[in-house]
Amino acid sequence: MNFVEQFFDWLLSFDKETLIYAASAIGAGLAMIAGIGPGVGQGYAAGKGAEAVGLNPKGSKQSTMVMLLGAAVAETSGILALVVAIILLYGNPIVNVQGASIILAASAIGAGFSMIAGIGPGIGQGYAAGKATEAVGRRPKLHSAVVRTMFLGQAVAQTTGIYALIIALVLMFANPFIR
Amino acid sequence: MNGVDLIKACSAIGAGLAMIAGIGPGIGQGYAAGKGAEGVGRQPEAQGDIVRTMLLGAAVAETTGIYGLIVALILLFANPFF
Repeated sequence: MNFVEQFFDWLLSFDKETLIYAASAIGAGLAMIAGIGPGVGQGYAAGKGAEAVGLNPKGSKQSTMVMLLGAAVAETSGILALVVAIILLYGNPIVNVQGASIILAASAIGAGFSMIAGIGPGIGQGYAAGKATEAVGRRPKLHSAVVRTMFLGQAVAQTTGIYALIIALVLMFANPFIR
Repeated sequence: MNGVDLIKACSAIGAGLAMIAGIGPGIGQGYAAGKGAEGVGRQPEAQGDIVRTMLLGAAVAETTGIYGLIVALILLFANPFF
């Protein structure tokens, strides 16, 4: 008997609830990797904010405001990952589902993997926030037009993060493999 | 090996994975610090404003690292599964 078969036999020797909780613990950890994105993006925005204030100290208020607005949007994918991790830890919906335990356990890990996609929107939206801060620092009067454009771009950048959230929610709440 | 042991082992893996998130704030805040130093070098008289904006932004960038830490600590010390 080869190693893979032995491994699956060993996994299946546990009861269903145990296996799902173990997989959910791994899934919650995987989901939190998404935190890389907002961290990088918001840091870029913070750097651009410091740069803008240095170039134009009079526009300091507007620059800081735009930086915080953009950073708040960049935070969303980190929050979505946190929500998925908390659901897996405290409101685990998978335990109550009838079905093969190995599929349910793999779904919990898959939901966590899916949320890693949050890295992308986090970095991208943070970059947009940084560039908007730079522009406002240079010309504080164009503040509202710049912020509007930034929000529009960030909304588009968010889409792949939302796709990941949908897949994670499908795996947790409406698993198509279990009929 | 019983079931609780498997959950504990996987919780250890999960806690480690959660902390990978620390990559992001590290990179981002480092960039912010670099730009802050650049700004102060160019306009030393605006140092107070520059450092304030930089610290504010860096505090926001820290949040996801703290989320990862919280989930890791929950898995280690307040595990809801056993």
